[in-house]
Amino acid sequence: MAPFKDEQIIIIAPGSQTTLAQLGLPESFTPARVRIRSCMFSGEKEGEWEPYKVRRKEKAPNGQENGTATNGQNGTDRKEEEVEYEEDFVSDEGAVWPMTEGRITNWACFFALIQHVYNNLNPPFHTPILLISQPCWTDHDCQKLTQFFFEKFKMPAFALMDAATATCYAYGVPSATVVDVGLGKADVTAVSEFLLHDTGRAIAVPKCGGEAMTQRLLELLSPKGFTREMCEQLKKSSIAEILPPGTPLPGASGAGGGDVTNPAAAASTGAQGSGPNQRNTAGAMGEAPLGPGPGTEVGEEANNDDENEGVLDVASIVAGGKMTEYLARKEKEKAEKAVTKKKGAAEASAAQQKQGKLPNWKKERATFLYEDHHLLDTLKGMNLSGKEMAEAQVALDEGGQKRTAPRREVEVGVERFQAATGGIIERLADAIYRTVSSVEQVAKRSELWDSLIIVGNGARVRGFKDTLIATLNSKYIISPSSATIFTSELPSNLSTPAGTGANTPQPQLGGHTSHGVNPLLLAATTAHNQHLTPGNAIPSVNQQQNVHSSHGQTPTSIKLAKVPEYFPEWKDVGYDEAAFLGAQVAAKVLFIVDQGLSKGFMTRTDYNDQGPTGIMEFKL
Amino acid sequence: MALPNQYAAPTANEYGGDEVSALVLDPGSCTIRAGFAGEDTPKSVVPTFYGVIPNEPDLLFGENRIHNPHNGLEIRNPYGEDGLVEDWDTAAKLWEYSITTRLTGPRATPPNRNGLNDRSTKERADAQAAGITDDVEMEETEEMERPLADAPLLMSEPGWNPTKAREKAMEIAMEDWGVPAFWSGRSGVLAAFSAGKASALVIDIGASNTSVTPVSDGMILKKGIMKSSLGGNWISNQIRLMFSQQQPPVSITPHYAVVTKTPVDAGAPSQAILKKFDFTLTNSFRRLEEERVLTEFKESVVQVWEGPGRLSNGTNEDIAKSQPGRPFEMPDGWNQVFGVERYRAVEGLFDAKAAYTDAENPAPQTSQTIPGLIDAALKACDVDLRPILLNNIVVVGSGSLFYGLTRRLNIELDTMFPGPRVRLFAPGNSAERKFAGWIGGSILASLGTFHQMWVSQKEYQEHGSGIVEKRCK
Repeated sequence: MAPFKDEQIIIIAPGSQTTLAQLGLPESFTPARVRIRSCMFSGEKEGEWEPYKVRRKEKAPNGQENGTATNGQNGTDRKEEEVEYEEDFVSDEGAVWPMTEGRITNWACFFALIQHVYNNLNPPFHTPILLISQPCWTDHDCQKLTQFFFEKFKMPAFALMDAATATCYAYGVPSATVVDVGLGKADVTAVSEFLLHDTGRAIAVPKCGGEAMTQRLLELLSPKGFTREMCEQLKKSSIAEILPPGTPLPGASGAGGGDVTNPAAAASTGAQGSGPNQRNTAGAMGEAPLGPGPGTEVGEEANNDDENEGVLDVASIVAGGKMTEYLARKEKEKAEKAVTKKKGAAEASAAQQKQGKLPNWKKERATFLYEDHHLLDTLKGMNLSGKEMAEAQVALDEGGQKRTAPRREVEVGVERFQAATGGIIERLADAIYRTVSSVEQVAKRSELWDSLIIVGNGARVRGFKDTLIATLNSKYIISPSSATIFTSELPSNLSTPAGTGANTPQPQLGGHTSHGVNPLLLAATTAHNQHLTPGNAIPSVNQQQNVHSSHGQTPTSIKLAKVPEYFPEWKDVGYDEAAFLGAQVAAKVLFIVDQGLSKGFMTRTDYNDQGPTGIMEFKL
Repeated sequence: MALPNQYAAPTANEYGGDEVSALVLDPGSCTIRAGFAGEDTPKSVVPTFYGVIPNEPDLLFGENRIHNPHNGLEIRNPYGEDGLVEDWDTAAKLWEYSITTRLTGPRATPPNRNGLNDRSTKERADAQAAGITDDVEMEETEEMERPLADAPLLMSEPGWNPTKAREKAMEIAMEDWGVPAFWSGRSGVLAAFSAGKASALVIDIGASNTSVTPVSDGMILKKGIMKSSLGGNWISNQIRLMFSQQQPPVSITPHYAVVTKTPVDAGAPSQAILKKFDFTLTNSFRRLEEERVLTEFKESVVQVWEGPGRLSNGTNEDIAKSQPGRPFEMPDGWNQVFGVERYRAVEGLFDAKAAYTDAENPAPQTSQTIPGLIDAALKACDVDLRPILLNNIVVVGSGSLFYGLTRRLNIELDTMFPGPRVRLFAPGNSAERKFAGWIGGSILASLGTFHQMWVSQKEYQEHGSGIVEKRCK
């Protein structure tokens, strides 16, 4: 077989929400070039799938019938040619998501999705495929996929790699605890020497993903008229943040500087919260400079809550045909606001400036721009002409910059810090602890604690990783025992330390010097080598781990693995999708460097010999 | 049964050959191990403990679901104290869960409702073009109805499993799961195979039992099976007793109850911030979580006195006291150094008199200790067999992973049976010891010559569940 070339390789990483794919390995590895929503739409006929929502759009024969209900009926009566279909690339209304919590629940749809991804890449012949597998896929699933890939795409070679292994490849660490926070679940995997620990692996821990946080926000904010979609966008915005345990919420008693301005602001809380300076945060998201109505909220907030409800429900207003009224009212408010702004500017500006300079976590209220896809859908559903559509969009958009969906500013209070209050951090921390504790080689555990990798788009929420680490530190870390600091196993029975450097204190103690224990004492206790103390149940096992000598327990320190720094393209976007980076590294190693010598992939010949079950020999 | 020769290649006309990989299920009272034959560790290890929430029909299976505090969550176990199944319905569900979650995929919605089978003509044509014939689709439909219908199943059972229980297990596999073929192996025999031995004296220290099983030429010697309740659970209990007899008594606070802990001096009361629950947590849940702390204690502190002689002999206890202690920190930050106590917690395995006792927990009999069991097992065996067995002692089970246990066992055996012919085999790899029974099953089921041993679905239909006694000896 001719050797594979860099530009021939396909990598596909399916996820419950987004499927990543790429054809060819670039010189310097980049984030996935193709990102596709992991959903398909039922086609015209049963069993057919479309990648985008297809809307039936009627060509209006004359202006009278436009937008009326009778039109639809007439349309069906008339001839086919008058029915027009239109692909909607944004909407996910009625979509079928073939994966839930990583599991493939709708195989027909999943296969269609893979087919769509493959077509999208438009690969040449002689293209090997590397598929990143979800931890919760059963052996049976993997075999089914192998069969599908070989028989559908007829590729020369197929490799299947676990997402956790791939992440380790990305970080270039042989042993790590990989925490992958996804949409509906999280996976925690202990990888030691590039081998997965199947036993005790926390697979698809439910209610630990991004969706759990959205749901929590929804629970908190639904009384205020927030929809699920709004909560989702709030979670993704830069004002949503998870505060480390023990941080008081702004506005709560005993908070810092944020409080000082609050009494003054109390009279017009809303005004304070949504002043122009506040929107620096939105600017941080890469939003455009302020739109047509920078201070719009000031006027709006003046008649606070009930008004808010109305605002949030724009879609139904529009659908109810009251768009013009709504817009007129908006216009009026804008004018009012302009007046208010002038009046209030002087007294407010001082306080506003002070608020604006505060870090997000000290501000009681903040706003974000909400892209109203529901509204867009409603507009599209109204059979407006292209021009009317554009006009309506511009009129309803508060964001200024041209976007796909009209946007509105939405203000939230301290709820935005409470996305993780549903216990998700605790559940995840416990799963991590359980996974590491189930590694049979006790000596390996401290190594695993010292290279923790948190990836996955669910972990993207600001402060999530820090909070998780802080929680692990405060709950699980074992501090050096005061009883053994001096008295314990000082090596009296050891004549001279061997000149191996093994007795040199290892720079291992980063995590917990803040616990009030003298770092020098700590260093003293860790200076000995493990084999002075029978910490290990298996005498034959290599005991060169730098475990806290006086403790057989772990963790004595918790550290994040060092992120790989030599991929400039990844640096900017972050390493949340590191599994895909790892997939590229692995593809390079498996298909180009190794060329199948160490059975890293299954060739067409292997498949013909062994059938789908043969993949288990090649799975990584 | 003679041990199949693993070097002989299967003949071409033999059933299945290597194509069908069998499932191996090794259920225990603490964990259930399952995986495909031919692999080196079980892919699916599921706790046998499961959760029940009052007024909810769903049982909570798996690690992910049983450790989260929940109002009224009860933790139960379908096994009785002697390591035998008591609650068959739940046990069967747990076993099925352990196989379907990681290996074969879940039981899907019935094929007439899941939409997979309503293929359009066009897709059918596509599928055919791609080489997926209708046969494949048919097979898929079949296995959705019965999740285990496509692979033969080898299941392990304790050596003292009564005939009724064996038949019951076979009925579940054959009728409920629809396996094409079944075989039931004694876990002692399988453990011997995992060490590559056809004849061995297998010492298995499990959770609910410690057992000694003599195996000769792959056959179990039924009379010689000795078991006692001095297993991992008993040692946990010893540690609890030890904690309660400390001054002041040590309380166990599991992780779930702690929000944050603060480092404190050894022996000083904990200053952790505890979590408050606005609902009631059951004792069984707390006990399960406490058990996790005890497991950590066992792994990092408890140690077997390595001799010479017993801990109580002469000055041994003083020597043990002079050894540096090992500290342990509780989830709530309380920590202490454990000196001689850490030896005493397991000394009862060897020396009945050394065990911690109180009113409810009487001291064990000498015959229940490991030396006692070995002695009794050997006495029950033929004299000619004894040297072979003594030369092939295999130590397995998670309970054997205590530091120093194998060395101590060696010393005990040397004093009981002086002579050079006593040899102890204990795999150095802890996974091999933990999963010895499963690994043995995995080896056995992947041998080409084993295929003649399977009891097929058809044979079962003909002879009924009684066939297990005849075929799986």
